[in-house]
Amino acid sequence: MATPLDKTLLEQLQQELAQKSEEVRVLRQMSSEVNATLNLDEIYAAVLGTMYDLFGFHHSLILLLDDSAETLRVVASRGYKDPAVGAKAPLGVGVIGTVARRRKMMRVGNLSQSRSYAAAVRSEMAHSDQADELEAVPELPGLPDAESQIAIPLLIKDTLVGVFAVESAERKVFTERDETLVSVVANLSASAIHNALLYKKQEEYSQSLAEKVEERTRQLAGRNKELEHTLEELKETQNQLVIQEKMASLGNLVAGVAHEINTPLGVLNSNNDTLSLTVKKMRQLLEDWPAEGEVKQADKVRDLLRSMNSLTEFNGMAAERMIKIVTGLRTFARLDRAAEDEVDIHEGLESTLSLIHNQLKDRVTVHKDYGDVPPIRCHPSRLNQVYMNLLVNASQAIAGKGEIQLKTFATENDVVVEITDTGEGIPAENLGRVFDPGFTTKGVKVGTGLGLSIVQRILDEHDGKIEVESKVGRGIDIPRIPASSPGQSAEILNIALFRARSQTA
Amino acid sequence: MTADRLPDEIKGVMENGVPVILATCSSDGIPNATIISQVYYVDPNTVAVSFQFFNKTSRNVRENPHASLCLNDLLTSNKWLLQVEYDHSETAGPIFETMDMHIEAIASATGMSGIFKLKAADIYRVKSVEKLAGN
Repeated sequence: MATPLDKTLLEQLQQELAQKSEEVRVLRQMSSEVNATLNLDEIYAAVLGTMYDLFGFHHSLILLLDDSAETLRVVASRGYKDPAVGAKAPLGVGVIGTVARRRKMMRVGNLSQSRSYAAAVRSEMAHSDQADELEAVPELPGLPDAESQIAIPLLIKDTLVGVFAVESAERKVFTERDETLVSVVANLSASAIHNALLYKKQEEYSQSLAEKVEERTRQLAGRNKELEHTLEELKETQNQLVIQEKMASLGNLVAGVAHEINTPLGVLNSNNDTLSLTVKKMRQLLEDWPAEGEVKQADKVRDLLRSMNSLTEFNGMAAERMIKIVTGLRTFARLDRAAEDEVDIHEGLESTLSLIHNQLKDRVTVHKDYGDVPPIRCHPSRLNQVYMNLLVNASQAIAGKGEIQLKTFATENDVVVEITDTGEGIPAENLGRVFDPGFTTKGVKVGTGLGLSIVQRILDEHDGKIEVESKVGRGIDIPRIPASSPGQSAEILNIALFRARSQTA
Repeated sequence: MTADRLPDEIKGVMENGVPVILATCSSDGIPNATIISQVYYVDPNTVAVSFQFFNKTSRNVRENPHASLCLNDLLTSNKWLLQVEYDHSETAGPIFETMDMHIEAIASATGMSGIFKLKAADIYRVKSVEKLAGN
């Protein structure tokens, strides 16, 4: 049977046992919580919560070593007016910093006394010749008036992860038992924090890798697009080179043909004139010649002469037409002129119209409204190609019969050529693409899709511009095709502005 | 009440830190008293005293090892008088490390890192302990 003293001792031991059991239970629960998650915030909350719930510690801090390995930063705290998350504690400074540097726990219970002692020494030194040795008092996280503190390094195989600290403004609050329990909490949480940090870094790395891959893919897509664009430009340039080569060959051919035809045409024309004169003279002689009985014969000769006269008139008209065509060919090719010259734009328009006469004659009526336009310095054959492409486009846009209005005028700095046709127009969705190389609405067998692209390129070379307006059903508007001339003199500065317009009649 | 070994309750007093007064005497009988920053409980028969600035104290105990320590318990206002005898000084090892760490923590937090440095942990044997009631 237990004596009263034994009973008291037994009760005390039972109380201690109950308390330790409760501590073990809470620690096990905390261990389960921190090891069941890789979320750092949840781990911090469990650790700091345990400090408060189990031990009644109101002020606790978790600090982690930053990447520089020279500074700790507060990552979580509990019980402070200012949570001070992100606040720095350099290694080797203050209780927490010293614990981190030495990797050894520390429990202090009367910090103000030590601070007072240090302050007294500092005050004396401040008035002595040792004042220079004093350093600035650092600002550290935690309670500024902390009296008691336990700071425990968070270690993973001797590698410092951070520091866990509890503190109080009261003296000697923490006992050896507290120190042991806080150490257990710190050790349990260290590996959980370490694992969560590794997981976080892995996630950040994965995220960063994914972003890098995405960025690189975006760059490659951009580069690919640039290459596609460059390829398109190369194709267009190649096409233009081919066209230019064809145009040059055509020019040579035209020059040759014109030369070859011109001479016999001249002979034909001259002979026709001579023949006309001869017929006229013969007719005069016949007026005096027929004697009696020969009248019938003379009438026959007169009939023949009338026929010959008609023939020579037709020959003359045909020869003049051919001469006009040949002249047009020569003018269009500008092989008789310098590459860059000062020309009247009407000359080029007329020669172009001559060449496409066959496309227009019975179908399209051309109305000309030529203004008073000064000569411009340009590459005549290149601009002729512009007129050709635009006029052929206008002609092809007209299904059946229609009209083309050709208007020229000068503004202060520009010369404007406005071409309006009564064709079907261009749908609004295609309007922005008409200058794209390869774009055509004529069908693959009719158009190459390069016409307006070439026009734009040539006008760019002349510092000019082209504008297009169109309404479906109301005809095509190509209102401005401006082209200024490179190297032109001041008095004809920027005078080359061309306009083409198309609309329904 | 006088004892020849340190009671457990004095551990808390030592953790209080300063003020601790250490009285020594030179070989020719000239006394010296100084305030020291730290007394560390080693075991019931041994204490360690921080040796930072006090060249005279250090010289005295090497000439005459007998010394007295007066500890003030700030919580209870009790005083403790210890008669001690200087044994040796340590500049490494766990006792030195613990005392050095404490001094470093306080010194660095008060901008005195260059001034408060533990030169040695002076080890004293405890001869007697007397607890005096506070005012």
